[in-house]
Amino acid sequence: MNGAINFTYGFSHGVEWGWPIAVYLLLAGISGGALIVALLVRFYKKQHEDTPLLKAASLVSFVTIAFGMVFLVGDLEKPLYFWKILINYNFTSVMSIGVMAISIYIPLTLVMCLYLFEKEISMVLAKKSQLLDYFALVMGILRKFRPLIEVLSVVFAVVICAYTGFLISVLVRFPILNTAILPALFVVSGLSAGTASASMVATWFFKEDAHSSDMKTLHVIEWPIMAVEMMLIAMLFVSLLVGNEFQQTTTVAFQSGVYANLFWFGVMGVGFGLPLVLNFALGKHVAHSKMAFYLSGMASVTGVLCLRMFIIYAGQTFGV
Amino acid sequence: MENDGKRRAFLKVLGLGSVSLGTAGYSVVMEAEKAEKKPHYGMIFDQNKCVGCTDCEVACRKVNAVPEGQVRLYVENKTDPETPMEKKYVRVSCQQCEEAPCVAVCPSKACHRDAKTGIVSMNPDDCIACKYCIVACPYDVRFINHKTKAAENCNFCLNTNLAKGKEPACVEACKYKALVFGDLNDEASYINQILHVKDSVRMKPTFGTKPSLRYIPVVKVGV
Repeated sequence: MNGAINFTYGFSHGVEWGWPIAVYLLLAGISGGALIVALLVRFYKKQHEDTPLLKAASLVSFVTIAFGMVFLVGDLEKPLYFWKILINYNFTSVMSIGVMAISIYIPLTLVMCLYLFEKEISMVLAKKSQLLDYFALVMGILRKFRPLIEVLSVVFAVVICAYTGFLISVLVRFPILNTAILPALFVVSGLSAGTASASMVATWFFKEDAHSSDMKTLHVIEWPIMAVEMMLIAMLFVSLLVGNEFQQTTTVAFQSGVYANLFWFGVMGVGFGLPLVLNFALGKHVAHSKMAFYLSGMASVTGVLCLRMFIIYAGQTFGV
Repeated sequence: MENDGKRRAFLKVLGLGSVSLGTAGYSVVMEAEKAEKKPHYGMIFDQNKCVGCTDCEVACRKVNAVPEGQVRLYVENKTDPETPMEKKYVRVSCQQCEEAPCVAVCPSKACHRDAKTGIVSMNPDDCIACKYCIVACPYDVRFINHKTKAAENCNFCLNTNLAKGKEPACVEACKYKALVFGDLNDEASYINQILHVKDSVRMKPTFGTKPSLRYIPVVKVGV
């Protein structure tokens, strides 16, 4: 800043990108995270059957990203003109690159759902034999590409999680957002929320045994993911604390006011504290209960929502 | 002998390569020279001359049909409360960056650089009002026009006064000549003559946006 002359008045009023964007960022994170975790488990364990976990993850990833689009388009001031973004591409814009990635990713998640729910869809279509024939024909072709589609799905799921971070980390006016850690944090917190969502849907809708091999695997990996998430948040805070004058002023967001409460109660308390307490502090009986399983899963997702809200709101509140 | 043939072929390729690269390089230089002849419009705000009358604001709103309650240009009072008699005002408006983040981030290319004048402007029809340009602007000088529902910025009256061959409305309206508009690529222009003799600064230069607006700050005299 020039000491000689500057202005502090701005034409935007407060937070221009509000809660719909935070919710979209959460949904994109869940979508990508669920698919990454389920497919990596499949690759690692060399599974060939359709597991309840993969079923749940495919459904979750498609439904969340589709809902995400509703929030994303709904936040536009001219929502009916959203198609303009599909015909005018700007390769220097993270948003444009993201739209391209999304337009590949959504069909991928849809195809994943077709693979995993082929039987169910066939049953629904059974009454109309002609449609059933078409569906069988399409699936016959698609099935040949399944290994490729699965790999592409993982790649694009990572791209989706990461792009949501880059989308706001390019906003140079806001020190909390303009950091290299943000995309990494969004990938990791996406994994955390995605794991929780996929495992809850798998047990609730697809009757996965809460102590099955896949669920045990998820239960093992969710803690290292949470640890990395905490570490990245700590790194973000330290980088601001030791940064320049403007970065230092943003650390107030962690210390007092509404956003500090959101951070400490929402992100730290509900997101990290509650699952840790339920699983480790109250004894094995509580830790193995269904109630603890669903409660800690929902707490994880809520925590990630709070993290996105905190980043979006506190981020845009403290500008240079 | 076989080796000789290979060497000859190699030298041929080398020779042809350097000739083509050389000409390509030359044509790039030619392009750059041509590009330099394009105008680069800039503006000076002289804080020493501004009295804060806001005639520029009024003229801007009228000429560019800016809706009630919104502005493309704002005069901020930055008088130090400890020296209330030494008035200081600052022009707040689009800085017309050479490296404009708004143009870089716009997903629909609605926010663009005008091909003829190089001025950063807006095509309201292509704008989907995602507000990405508003949050990407380091100067916070963009807004969604309530009427057009499109993002907007000061474009030096590109479609209004400039199109009619007049100076921007704010410059025309300023009774104290605190604003100077002109082509920074034209060595003989009045704006360049002033920049040659007066010290001026750019706002938030560390962002690397290379603003085309220059500010001549009030400096203490007689020290």
